[in-house]
Amino acid sequence: MSTEIKELKFTTFKTNIKYSVINKRVHNIDGLAKVTGRATYTFDVKLPNMLYGKILRSPHPHARIVNIDASKALAMPGVIAVATGKDTPGVKQGIWRRYPELCDEQILPLEKVRYIGEPVAAVAAVTEEIAEKALELIDVEYEVLPPVFQPLDAIRKDAPIIHEGVERNINVTRHIEWGDVDDAFAEAEKDGYIREDWFRTSSQHHMCMETRAAVSSFTPDGKLTVYCSTQSPYYMQALLAGVLDMREGDIRVIAHYVGGGFGGKFELDAAIFCSAVLSKKTFRPVKIVFTREEDFIASKRRTPMHYYIRTAMKKDGTFLAREVRVFTNGGAYTGMGATALYLTGFFCSFPYKWRGYRYDGYRVYTNTLPSTAMRGFGAPQAMFCSEQQIEWMCADLGLDPYEVRRKNAHTECYEVPGQAYIQSCGMTQCIDKIEAWAKSKGNLGPNRAIGVSAAGFMSGGIFNWFDTPYSFSSAVVVINYDGKVDLYVGCQEIGQGSNTTMAIICAETLGVKIEDINVYSGDTAHSPADLGAWGSRQTLMAGNAVKMAAEDAKRQLLEFAYAEMGLNIVYDLDIKDRWVHVIARPERGMKYEDLVKRAIRGKDGQRIIGRGYYTPHRKGMISPAYSYMMQAVDAEIDPETGKITLHEVMTAHDCGQPINPLGLIGQLEGAASMALGFGYLEDQPMDEGKILNPNLVDYKVIRATEMPKTDMIEIDTYEAEGPYGAKEAGEGLTNPTAAALGNAIFHALGLQMKELPITSEKIVNALKEKKEKQGK
Amino acid sequence: MNYKCPVCKKEWPTSLQVARHIFGTGDKPHREWVGSKGYSYIDLLLEQVSAPGNKSYEIMSKLVEEEQDKIK
Repeated sequence: MSTEIKELKFTTFKTNIKYSVINKRVHNIDGLAKVTGRATYTFDVKLPNMLYGKILRSPHPHARIVNIDASKALAMPGVIAVATGKDTPGVKQGIWRRYPELCDEQILPLEKVRYIGEPVAAVAAVTEEIAEKALELIDVEYEVLPPVFQPLDAIRKDAPIIHEGVERNINVTRHIEWGDVDDAFAEAEKDGYIREDWFRTSSQHHMCMETRAAVSSFTPDGKLTVYCSTQSPYYMQALLAGVLDMREGDIRVIAHYVGGGFGGKFELDAAIFCSAVLSKKTFRPVKIVFTREEDFIASKRRTPMHYYIRTAMKKDGTFLAREVRVFTNGGAYTGMGATALYLTGFFCSFPYKWRGYRYDGYRVYTNTLPSTAMRGFGAPQAMFCSEQQIEWMCADLGLDPYEVRRKNAHTECYEVPGQAYIQSCGMTQCIDKIEAWAKSKGNLGPNRAIGVSAAGFMSGGIFNWFDTPYSFSSAVVVINYDGKVDLYVGCQEIGQGSNTTMAIICAETLGVKIEDINVYSGDTAHSPADLGAWGSRQTLMAGNAVKMAAEDAKRQLLEFAYAEMGLNIVYDLDIKDRWVHVIARPERGMKYEDLVKRAIRGKDGQRIIGRGYYTPHRKGMISPAYSYMMQAVDAEIDPETGKITLHEVMTAHDCGQPINPLGLIGQLEGAASMALGFGYLEDQPMDEGKILNPNLVDYKVIRATEMPKTDMIEIDTYEAEGPYGAKEAGEGLTNPTAAALGNAIFHALGLQMKELPITSEKIVNALKEKKEKQGK
Repeated sequence: MNYKCPVCKKEWPTSLQVARHIFGTGDKPHREWVGSKGYSYIDLLLEQVSAPGNKSYEIMSKLVEEEQDKIK
């Protein structure tokens, strides 16, 4: 496995600025702490007098809780407390603070359980082993109710009702429409081509290296400190305040090191909630760490979808209209699945221009593990369906699929009607590069082919369903007497390199070295509020806040420099590589360290403090900016066994100005492994609502030996809304891969695979079916 | 002329947009209004997703248009 950036080329807006820190290969600034084992994850937190918590979970997919008797457990030596729903304010919580009807989950339910694995009670004991044994002594009397597991069953008139008052179990609906869809289809019926297909996409586990974990400490002064593994300390602080009936300011959330999130850790989870409830009961710190099995059965999952797509194009390949209907398996609660429902509908139009587009999405409650956000946020499902159908339509009509994609692709300054404003866009360049690369490979031999898929993704979400009153991102820069810079950010480092990205942007803006920057994040006591790490938002949103804060601090420094140097006011000053200088006469200047010392003395001893913030405005409904990409997967399939061998994944990628090429490579490799797993390996089969493979033996993730070579051609555009022209790089790379793999299989064997994951068994069955049809 | 939602009186330039609003809101008052016109809100939703075309939204648009004179 190797990754390299083949080429860096400006295509959209060429800038003449030479950066000192940006676009240099920078290792993660917290890498040393991690590789030497000194990084303190929640798992490592140990507080004096600490108790250990364990959670009792429902064995039933749907049942009424009649009674919980914890007396035997409480009598067990070493058990300090048991908490049930009755020990909580009983608040139905969720991230949808603007839409209370979607806040539907009591983490310790009072009346009903709605999926196998749902928490029912929690025990705090002096050891983890005692807590585990005590769970067996809690008697729960259930009235078992009829369950329903599939969305198409759950919407039937006679289906069991999972949430009272929610007719036919329809949790959320979403509709997107522009243009005259029916008129465009009518045109295609006369002189064009229409195709409709049905698809099914599967579940996927977030598979974070670090399972859900929390240590909560409630003290008699009414303050709560929570160490936890989260993508958003601010969300956790605010959500905990809501469910515990506390003030946000009395809760401190600390998440210095987080072992992955991928969309699964920005909702309140049972580890955080139950440890807090138990700590409030005992006034002692309580630690809860999910086992790997608990993480599988009770930490939400990628949303499975039933997809119908009807697409109309002219015979020359010009797209006319598309109609999309989606049912998603929402599981027992809303979670972030409602946003995935919207985004899958939006991204199914991507990255193309449609005269008419219509999407209807329905999220349906079932008695299964709730589905939620996961890397790509609904877009990988959309691309799997959309990009395969486009490839098949091109084959049906004998058209060149590269040319068809190029003809219909988004371009700079395009408006997706009523939805999005596209500023920078390198889509056609991505297509050109991948076409050239694929053609350079020549004939690959039998049962082997290259499949391609285009995609795009958002750079952070505009939607404010959380109803935060704060800026989406904020940052504070403090310059100290020795020239060292303290950067306080609320954006969250979860292993993706956020702190390094922020340090690079800060150093570039101030004109100092990256080693001059200390980044402080992951602590609500010190970090400004920020929505956190989701939806590929941090580089653009937090990056803009950091840039603004650094510019504010730099302006204050340069004011002193002007006075100090007695310059003609028409001269401009700048700082580069710690040298404060006249731009037109770079040799005239002074050392940054000297300027800082004088400036602080000149400010009556005050450190230089800069503030920055960012909230998107006038950028449509979805995101301030969009990345674009075209990906090719070179795959070989054994027709006897259906085994897939992956040879190479090549991606042409437009993420605006890359901030850190090393970070980009890390994102590419991580996305490829996760998305290939989604394509042919990972699934969570269930029997009567019970997940059958909740362990790393039976749940197949891609292994190092199966990982293909991954390369990237960076299409280096400039995004006006992003810091230094940067936009999303990472989450979006998950979107095209399953479709590209499907298209490789189509070209290698002539199979149209409509169900994920594309397992060997499905390939063998599809080949048998194909032979039978040919025989007839 | 703008079209008003018969339930909450919010306005949009087209009746189709009001129809979208009613489907998208889907709370009890909106569902009951659809019911009072002789249609099932849920059945219209399911019709929209299970059959090609835009029939349910068109039915709702028509209902909205017919109701405009009665909205105060």
